[in-house]
This record gives sequence, C-alpha cells and structure tokens, in this order.
Amino acid sequence: MSFTAFYKRNLGFYKLAIASNLEYRLNFFMDAMLQPSITSIVEMVLWMAIFKGAQATTIGGFEQNYYLAYALWATFIARATVNWTYEFKMIEEIDQGTINGLLVRPMNYYEYYLSQLLGYKSITTGFSLLFPVVIILSTQLPTDWSRFPAAMLLVFYYLFFVYSISFCIASLAFFFNKVNSLTVTKNLAMWLLTGELFPLDLMPEAIRKVFLLMPFSSGVYVPVGFLTGRIGWDALWQGFISVTLGILFFSVLGALLWRKGMKAYVGTGA
Amino acid sequence: MSDKFQYVIETEDLGRSFLTYKKSEGLINSIKGFWNRETIEKVALHKTNLKIEPGQIVGLVGANGAGKTTLLKLLSGLISPTTGYAKVLGYEPFQRNPQYLKRISLLLGQKNQLWWDITPLDSYALLAKIYDLDEMKAASRVQDLAKILDCTHVLETQLRRLSLGERMKMEIIGSLLHEPDVLFLDEPTIGLDIVAQETIRHFLSSYVKNKGPTVILTSHYMDDITSLAARLLLISKGSLVYDGTVPGFIAKTELIQTVTYKIKDAPEMKEEVKKSQLNEFLVQLSSMGQIENIKIEETDFEDVIHSFLQKESRLL
Repeated sequence: MSFTAFYKRNLGFYKLAIASNLEYRLNFFMDAMLQPSITSIVEMVLWMAIFKGAQATTIGGFEQNYYLAYALWATFIARATVNWTYEFKMIEEIDQGTINGLLVRPMNYYEYYLSQLLGYKSITTGFSLLFPVVIILSTQLPTDWSRFPAAMLLVFYYLFFVYSISFCIASLAFFFNKVNSLTVTKNLAMWLLTGELFPLDLMPEAIRKVFLLMPFSSGVYVPVGFLTGRIGWDALWQGFISVTLGILFFSVLGALLWRKGMKAYVGTGA
Repeated sequence: MSDKFQYVIETEDLGRSFLTYKKSEGLINSIKGFWNRETIEKVALHKTNLKIEPGQIVGLVGANGAGKTTLLKLLSGLISPTTGYAKVLGYEPFQRNPQYLKRISLLLGQKNQLWWDITPLDSYALLAKIYDLDEMKAASRVQDLAKILDCTHVLETQLRRLSLGERMKMEIIGSLLHEPDVLFLDEPTIGLDIVAQETIRHFLSSYVKNKGPTVILTSHYMDDITSLAARLLLISKGSLVYDGTVPGFIAKTELIQTVTYKIKDAPEMKEEVKKSQLNEFLVQLSSMGQIENIKIEETDFEDVIHSFLQKESRLL
C-alpha cells in the first residue's frame, strides 16, 4: 500500500470530521466556545474566592494571577485533550453492529477515527483557543508566548495517547455491552490525573512526582504549567517521553484486544 | 480477475455458533443472573458446503434468523467462522486483506453505509480515496450510475435529508463505485415502495448483465429472487435445505393450483388441487355437468417457498 494512498485516505477522514462538525453550527459553537468559556469563568471566580478567603498573596508559591491563567488555559486545553465523542461513537458502533459498514472497506478502523479525532480537534481547538488568547492579551495574565508552539505540540501528541486508550475501551465493547460507563469513570480519573481539577504542584511532593511520571499529566498540567511558567523545559521533555511510552503500551494492548474482539464479534444488528 | 477461479466462492463445513446466556423470567432471576449466568451455545449456521461459479447470481432465501445474514457476514469477512473455512476470490475473508476488500462489496439494506452528515458526492469522493481509485474516473462513474438510477438531483443533498428510496439508490452507487467482483446484497429493496423496488431490481439486473459480478442476494421479496437469481439457496434454522435453480425448486415442490369453475345451474366453486392430480380432477369435473367457466391459477412463488419452509421447520 503506497504512502500517497494512506495519506489521501486519512486526509479524507480528517476533512470528514471537520465537515460533519461544521454541519451543526449551534452544537459546534456550544462545544467549542460556550461550554469551556463558562467553565473557565467559574474556575477563575473560584480561585479568586479561594485567594480572598485565604487572605494570602501566594498559594503553593504562586500568586493569584498564575492560578487565573492556569484555570483559563486548563479548561480549554482539557477540552482539546479529551476524547469522549469518538469513544462513545466507536462503542456504539461495535454494540449495535453499525461498524459492519466500515469493516468491509479496505481501511483500518484505528486510523479512521484517529484521523477524524485530529480533524475534529484541529477545528474546535483552533476556534476555542481564541477565547483564552483574547483574555490573556487583554488582562496580561502570565503566559510565555514563546512556549506556545511547544505546548500545543505536546497537546496534539497527547491526543494519540488519549486515542489509544479510547481504542482499548471501545475494543472492550466486543466482549461487554454498555462499556460507556468505563468512559465516564476514566474521564473522572483523568480529571484529577491530568491536573484539570487543580494544578498538580498543589499535591504532596511524593504524589506530584508520581503523577508527573505518568503520561496523563501531559494532558493539562504539563502544557499549561509550561505555558504559564510553573514548570520548565525538562518537565516538557519528560512529558513527551511518558506520552510516547503510554502510546506504545496502549497501542499494543489495543491491538491485542481488537484481534481477540474481532474473533468474538457476532456482528449483531446488521 | 474472477475468471481465474473455477469457483469464486467456496466453503467447506463453514459454520458459526455464538455464546449467549439464558435469562429466565422475573426479578429474582435477574438478581441471580448478576453473578451466575448460564451460558448457552447457539448455532447460527451449521456446517455449510457451497461452491459458486464466477458471474452467478445466487438468491439466498430463508425466514428471519435462519442464518442468511450470518452466511453473508462470514463470506464478507465481518465475522470469523467457528468451524470450517471459506475462500472468496482466493482469499480467506476473515483475514480482511485490503486487496480482498477492494474486490467485494456488501450492501446492507437496513443500514446506512454512506456518511449521514455529508452529501453523497462527498461520500463518493471519500470512497474513491478509501478504494484508491482515480478520482476523475470515480466522479464520472457516479454521474453515469446516478443517471441510470435517475437520482442526479439529490447528489448534493446531505444523506440525512433524503427519502429511504433515494438513500438506497445512493448506497447502491456507493457499493458499485469500485466495480466489485463479488457483490453481497442483503435486502437491497427492504422497506421501499413498489416503484422504487422495481427501479432498483431493473437497475441491478442490467448492471449484472453488463458487468458480470458474482452476486449473493438475500431478500424477503420473491420478485427480487425470481427476477435476478439464477440459483436459489434456501436456508432454514442455520442449514441449507435447497440448492438449485428456481424452476428446479418449483418442480421439486408439490405445487398446489387453484381451480375456479362454474358448472351449469350450480354456484361458482374454488378448489385447491395438487398439480400431479390436476388431470384426474378435470376428468371428474367434466363428468359433473356442462362447464360454463374454468380458471386455473399457478401458486405464487412466495407461497411455495413459504409452505416449503414451514414444512422444513416442522421436520427440523
């Protein structure tokens, strides 16, 4: 199979996700802009209340502005690095047998949704990041713009890791019905492990070290902490390494689950 | 390429069973079933031996749950066999070799296979990339097929906005875009009105005449089978119970004919007579008086299959 055919096909999937999402304008606007904007405003207000209540100028060694910048970026970056839309879709397709229409095509199911996820995230993230960018520029909250490209590179690299986990969970649908609950549980755990809930440096040192070694922290804490000056380049590189190991682990697991799952598949529903 | 093979489709002891669990009635059994489930094995398709020559159009007929779709899924590589093997175009379907998948097409009448939110034209452009086709040639082929199916006007409308009949035409174009050597058609006319059914039937008939793919067609509409298929496979409770031609099947079955007659000074009568006993019946009838009117009707093919399957299900 030639690389050109592979590239053209995946570019097609990438564009398909963009076209499909832009089809529903209200949903797109709510998903990409309104929901994360409201969440970030709530979190920023919460941090202001915490600082006011604590009557302190710093918490964990950082001033209020650092927390506001973190809350603002974290909400939008977390949106960019979560994948429940396609995970739910994959689970449903396997559950209901609508995957049949895709399995008889000369393509790979893994690449089909990976390319779509990248397409969907490119368009939603590109659009939604306008909000924090405008807020940061107008309020001078701490952000090192020179670090922005590297931080975003890690964010998009992390998507491969997130997708590998999604693929494993979706493959479980070959064996169990209704595995959607696993997605919800995983997302709750990610909420804490990524640092979306609060910056990981507020955790006890030992726990923080363990969390930083895991790839999950590269979903929010590492890129946002790096962008807002809480952590340096060494943490970013470590992020790339742990994400790479995570991708390898979940890709191998996903391939095994898929192979076993296809053997067990009965194609119900079609 | 299919003419390289004596048989395009060949199966030996091909079968599929799956595990399910027994769920007894009631809340107590639901609670019990939470930790203790009794697993049962269900055979969807018993060991099946089949040989299909290139260019043949085979009608696969059976009641719901008989195993038709399981056989199609096995042959198209969607599911793995639990016994035996299948070879289609020289490939083992379940290996899902891309070169194999490029040469087959599975049309599922009850499922959308094109993309819901985009227009058929966009879907076809994507299919051309998936099948690695020349995009210009694919686009021109779409126009040709759409003209024949009289649906050019809906090519630029999102799939979700189309009627069932229009959607099915779009699906057919999508399944033929890469000119498959083997076509699996699962209920291609299901749910369509009579006009749409006839259009699609006519289109498929002329397509297979021109392009000569090997076709396996399942349908509950016997008109689909009689007008398209040269060979008939009857499947009942996971087993093949008849493999032969449509006329051969009719000849094998004890046909019932309906005789409507009127004898002078008597009311009109209607009786069902076995075809083998028709002559004897007519002799008897002529001795009863002067026949004013007589009409002999052949039983509908669908009724023949229905009664055959009924008889089979009593035997199995």
